[in-house]
Amino acid sequence: MSEIFNVLLLQNTLRTATPVVLAALGCLMTQHVNITNIGIDGMMLIGAFFAVLGSYYCGSWAAGLAFAIVFGVILGLLYYVLVIRFHSDEFIIGVALNIFAGGLTTFLLRTIFQVKGSFSDPRIAPLPTIVIPGLKDIPVLGHLLSGNTLLVYVSWLLVPLCWYLIYKTPWGFHLRASGEYPDALEASGRSPERMKLSASVLCGVLSCMAGAHLSLGYLTMFSENMSASRGYVAFACVIFGRGNPPVVFLAALLFGFIEALGLRLQKYVPSDLTGMAPYLVTVLMMVAVVLWEQKKKGKVAKG
Amino acid sequence: MGNSFFQSIRALFRLKPAQKLNRDYLISLLCAVLLAFLVGAGIMLLCGFDPIQCYGALFEGALGKPRAIGNTLAKAMTLALCGLAMSVAAKAGIFNVGGEGQLFMGALAAAVVGAQVKGAPAWVVVILALLASLLAGGLYAWVPGAMKVYWKVDEVITTIMLNSVATFFCSYMANGPLKTTEKGIASGTASIMKEAGFAKLIPLSNLTTAILFAAAAALFTWYLMTRSSVGFEMKLTGDNDRFAAYGGISAKKLMLWSMVLSGAICGLTGMLEVFGLHKRFMTTLSNEFYFDGMLVAMIMRYQPFGVILMSLFFAVLNIGSRSMELSAGISSEVILIVQSIIIFFMAAEGGIRTALQNRSAIRKARREAKAKEAGV
Repeated sequence: MSEIFNVLLLQNTLRTATPVVLAALGCLMTQHVNITNIGIDGMMLIGAFFAVLGSYYCGSWAAGLAFAIVFGVILGLLYYVLVIRFHSDEFIIGVALNIFAGGLTTFLLRTIFQVKGSFSDPRIAPLPTIVIPGLKDIPVLGHLLSGNTLLVYVSWLLVPLCWYLIYKTPWGFHLRASGEYPDALEASGRSPERMKLSASVLCGVLSCMAGAHLSLGYLTMFSENMSASRGYVAFACVIFGRGNPPVVFLAALLFGFIEALGLRLQKYVPSDLTGMAPYLVTVLMMVAVVLWEQKKKGKVAKG
Repeated sequence: MGNSFFQSIRALFRLKPAQKLNRDYLISLLCAVLLAFLVGAGIMLLCGFDPIQCYGALFEGALGKPRAIGNTLAKAMTLALCGLAMSVAAKAGIFNVGGEGQLFMGALAAAVVGAQVKGAPAWVVVILALLASLLAGGLYAWVPGAMKVYWKVDEVITTIMLNSVATFFCSYMANGPLKTTEKGIASGTASIMKEAGFAKLIPLSNLTTAILFAAAAALFTWYLMTRSSVGFEMKLTGDNDRFAAYGGISAKKLMLWSMVLSGAICGLTGMLEVFGLHKRFMTTLSNEFYFDGMLVAMIMRYQPFGVILMSLFFAVLNIGSRSMELSAGISSEVILIVQSIIIFFMAAEGGIRTALQNRSAIRKARREAKAKEAGV
């Protein structure tokens, strides 16, 4: 048992949860402006690819991250133009974006790097790991809190920041209003479209950062379809947490824990069965949260 | 529940007017295809390839030889079935994104029946496998369908998650309990009864008699959706379920049954792949076929006849892209990009059209104002 349940498990949990956390933060921005964005998976994939590209050619992780962020902005703008400007079906655009991302990254992988499947090279600079001097020596917590890659800390900072932005600032108020009651926002002299624009750009940036963590954080490689439906899991986490960053964060941690546990159990259980677990749990999570909400509503109605 | 379903089946024979894609939409589609091809040509030029040669290789590879045509038709069959499966559900207002999982489940069930039923005549095995695949696909779609209808759990996410669950489950079965004992087969179930497999219609191609089954299924779906009162009820439910309920239609049941039907079609697609091509279940059986079919269905606004035609076009692109890679040297994924650009344009079609109309209206107004000024 101690071979499975130890500090390493928790460490892996944090690692695997981080891309989901970042993507979920992006997704909840669009969720608050009432756009159901299921194209995050594709955005992650594109972010992952361009992070590797930037890091490989410039030899620094910062360039990789910058590339990912720039493409995040572009994707966010594209998404805004298609979904808000041209009133396209967000569902179709989401699915098409995912397929587009798969095609584009595989195409570029084969044309630029001349490889099939996956690309790794010592010249790709990984994201730096940050060791926090004071925390490092605390027995168990030290392993967890110190020595993670940059984006892990960024994601931790972003959770309270997003919460504060969305629920405590005028900007966040307008953001939510543009989703819940755009007419009222318009009447108060602000443009709901502009709020939706910033939400989709933020979503693109955060999703691409999630991708960058995927390809530069703990693997330093790019492989075809490496996002592996994590974007959808992030979406499920947002639904689960009803767009509230801390709850979404916990849901993503739960997902990370199950995935990490599955990886560690591979010695004892066939990997296909453990691979199933995170997705099954996500389904159960969705059912649980919906039933729980209905029960609550029922109580209110009765009372 | 069963009773009303059979009533609905009886209602099949009452005729209802068909719905058509309008002319403007088809013109937009043509423009979108041409634009996407242009973008594709731009990408090819950027990468140092000759677009004319590439596209030539594409169409040559898809339609040049009988064998190529056979492969294209076989691909179109899979796409059309997946697209129809999506359309059946979407018309009733429920999105089945889990067709890939249902396809895998149907394929696995069919492969097991095909391998385990011994001593029966071949046609019995085929029918049993057919039923097994319909049942497996249908049941696997029933789960998210019922969760949507009775608990209001969003079906898009659950079906996507169940895709991954099914792929892992089938991979486990094909590599574990059901793994074949034959030598030289790395992964896959035992092969099906030899006589039960579908015969090839064009030698060396992927086209088998499976296409007859597919045609029957497609005809049934087309009839159900456009010519029957069930199709009309489905459309009403999809457009406005409260209005449908007011009209005496049980929206919940209709949604659930369309979901099950959708899953059953996907299961059938899996079975046709097993009995037609691979003769056993393999995890490489489908490469996200359902997602391609789904997009075809979306572009054609869930109109069955349009879906079938568009499947042929996408099949040409798909099969042609492989030989384009071989002969012209450009990576075949460029066609995936072209396809997704078509979809982007078509999804934004309405918005782009209004924007263009507004612009020309503004221009016209300005011109008239100027003419007036000049006249005064």
